[in-house]
Amino acid sequence: MTRLPNFARTPKASTVAMAALFGAAMLAVTSCSGGPIAANNPLSSGNSFVSGSYSSQYIPPGSRSAAPAITATTLTGQRFSLAAERGSVVVLNFWGSWCAPCRGEAPRLAALATYFRHDPVSFVGDDVHDYATAALAFEHTFNVSYPSLNDPGSQVALAFHSTLPPTAIPSTLVIDRGGKIAARVIGEIQYNGLRALIAKVLADRS
Amino acid sequence: MTTQDTTQNAPEAVTEGTATEVTATEGTMAAPGTDPAAGQQKARFGPVGWLRWFWRQLTSMRTALVLLFLLALASIPGSVLPQQGIDPAAVSQYYSEHPALAPILAKLSGFDVFGAPWFAAVYILLFTSLAGCVLPRAFRLARSARQPPPKAPRHLGRLPQATSFPSELAPARVLESAAGMLGKRRFRLRTGDGWVSAEKGYSHEIGNLLFHVALLGLLVSVALGGLFGYKGNRLLVEGDTFANTPTALDVFHPGRLVSATDLAPFSLTLRRFDATYITSGSQRGEPASFNAELSYAKQYGGPTHGYDLRVNHPLNVDGVQVFLIGHGYAPVFKVTDGSGRVVFNQPVPFIPIEQSGLTSEGVIKAPDASPEQLGFSGVFLPTEYVTPVGQLASAFPAAEQPRVSLVSYAGNLGENGGESQSVYNLDTAQMRMLDVAPRPLAPGQSITLPHGLGTLTFTGYRQWASLAITYDPGQVPALISALAALAGLVMSFLMRRRRIFVRATSDGGDRALVEVAGLTRSDAAGGFEAEFAELTQAFHEALEAGGAGARVKSKGE
Repeated sequence: MTRLPNFARTPKASTVAMAALFGAAMLAVTSCSGGPIAANNPLSSGNSFVSGSYSSQYIPPGSRSAAPAITATTLTGQRFSLAAERGSVVVLNFWGSWCAPCRGEAPRLAALATYFRHDPVSFVGDDVHDYATAALAFEHTFNVSYPSLNDPGSQVALAFHSTLPPTAIPSTLVIDRGGKIAARVIGEIQYNGLRALIAKVLADRS
Repeated sequence: MTTQDTTQNAPEAVTEGTATEVTATEGTMAAPGTDPAAGQQKARFGPVGWLRWFWRQLTSMRTALVLLFLLALASIPGSVLPQQGIDPAAVSQYYSEHPALAPILAKLSGFDVFGAPWFAAVYILLFTSLAGCVLPRAFRLARSARQPPPKAPRHLGRLPQATSFPSELAPARVLESAAGMLGKRRFRLRTGDGWVSAEKGYSHEIGNLLFHVALLGLLVSVALGGLFGYKGNRLLVEGDTFANTPTALDVFHPGRLVSATDLAPFSLTLRRFDATYITSGSQRGEPASFNAELSYAKQYGGPTHGYDLRVNHPLNVDGVQVFLIGHGYAPVFKVTDGSGRVVFNQPVPFIPIEQSGLTSEGVIKAPDASPEQLGFSGVFLPTEYVTPVGQLASAFPAAEQPRVSLVSYAGNLGENGGESQSVYNLDTAQMRMLDVAPRPLAPGQSITLPHGLGTLTFTGYRQWASLAITYDPGQVPALISALAALAGLVMSFLMRRRRIFVRATSDGGDRALVEVAGLTRSDAAGGFEAEFAELTQAFHEALEAGGAGARVKSKGE
């Protein structure tokens, strides 16, 4: 027993290295989250909206969630209530006159509205992040026959928050005859794709 | 029985290093490295051995530092190359400028660096390395902080601090007195046959432990923020409203596990924006104050609240912070097309290109004008003046003499094809510049376009504020962890663990020979020598006072 009592081996060098690592980690962390106070404008080069890549989603009748009760005013000043459309399939398209993909899909939507004109299908637009004059000019250009809700503050999108919300502009929801969300298309719609979706929801027993 | 045990334990044996050898099981407490049996085990380097070796390498401090460096290196392309999530327009521009290189870079995730598999690999390896390094250390420290003081060594005279003296008291009384005194000084005690061992300064280990646990906490906090946090920006013109949904944000960076339904469902209206500027002296034109008067509702259809948003005075809505990060002007334009229809009537945010006069640039697009689409690009001058060389400029950031100066275009804006484009850029590739005499417009003035294409009227202006919306559930834990780590580090550097040993042996008669020794970490802060001297002195005096009743005080030795 000639060995001197010794302390648990925690070499100083490793503590210093740990401290260095900690310092470096702090630098990394702070440099990631130091943004918000900066005065420069991040939008100057940005795309002014969240664009999403295309996705189409169909929900089987058993697992659909109810669409929220929406009452809003259309661009032409009429009252609109989603509940009053019960019994019809509702195609709700979120768009803005400033959004190029919305302009791209507009003729196809107008054509689909014509295609389903004899079926219990209601087309409704929701004009977001927009101003009424430009929106009405858009509708005039594309001969949009169905009404659009005047929704500059994205309140309708917000009402869908806890269901299957639109995540990009444009987005299109298909609501079944029972008032439940049956399909969602993110991005510019494709004529055949949306036509098939609407036909499928029309044929569903719900 | 024994063979069975050995075979069953075989895979474990390699990992444990000591378990199979009957002799080694006795000494499981010994460090594996010092055990000769372990050395023999290492000679057979099976797959488990390799795994163990790999784990050792991964969790070494050096690897962690290398990985941290790699992480920094890996994020460089993210700031050099345009990123799809931040600036898709710049990415498409990069594609057209470097048609050969761009697809290769895209394959290597060069335009989505922070979502790249190789970036995730570095991050996850770093995380594993740090966790694997810190966790065992934390356990070891926790164990050592709970350990009782060791037995007193036999030969106290060999310790760095040692002294001895005779006492009039019996050995048992001496030890009792030593225990009493050290206990009063909050030493942790252990007694044995003829000795007292005492230890103090566990806060060194506690500090060390705190530091390690806090470091883990920091890692977890950062991960929390990265998985469940999100960031967004929105430019909002006075009088306008937006809802905190992905569709209403200009820029949106969700965390890995964030979906649209996870966003706090508030809506926010910018009622009014006020900026004041210093009007005289050398700082003329510098901002004096900003105030964005907001009203907000926490959810769809909920009651509204008011808030004055200022720089560094964010709004907090259910844990989501809204910062004021910029401001500017949005001149209002009305465009009437060739057929006499009003096709555009709204404020258009212009982006400041300089701060001293807030000269701002912007574009107006009227895609629904007929017979041709119209576009305008130009500047907004809050306080117009003409420089000596005849250039238009803005002398002051407040709108004292607001003017716009625009260039007009007609043709195809390139939007109807469906290709996304920025609302702040005018693509004039398929447009022609119209021959309009350049003249700055005052509010109420119009440009009449040639060939009956229409008119544009500058009707007034509003202001805009840009807001950053951030949700970082790891922010508060990260702050607490960082502070705790700092406190732990300071504690472990300032506190030192020290031990005092006392042995009392009978000198053959009824007197005792008292040995006192002290030991501390050699690398800790100094001062132990003085503490030991003071302690020994006090102990000596206490013993003499105790013995004074029994015998005549004798000084000496």
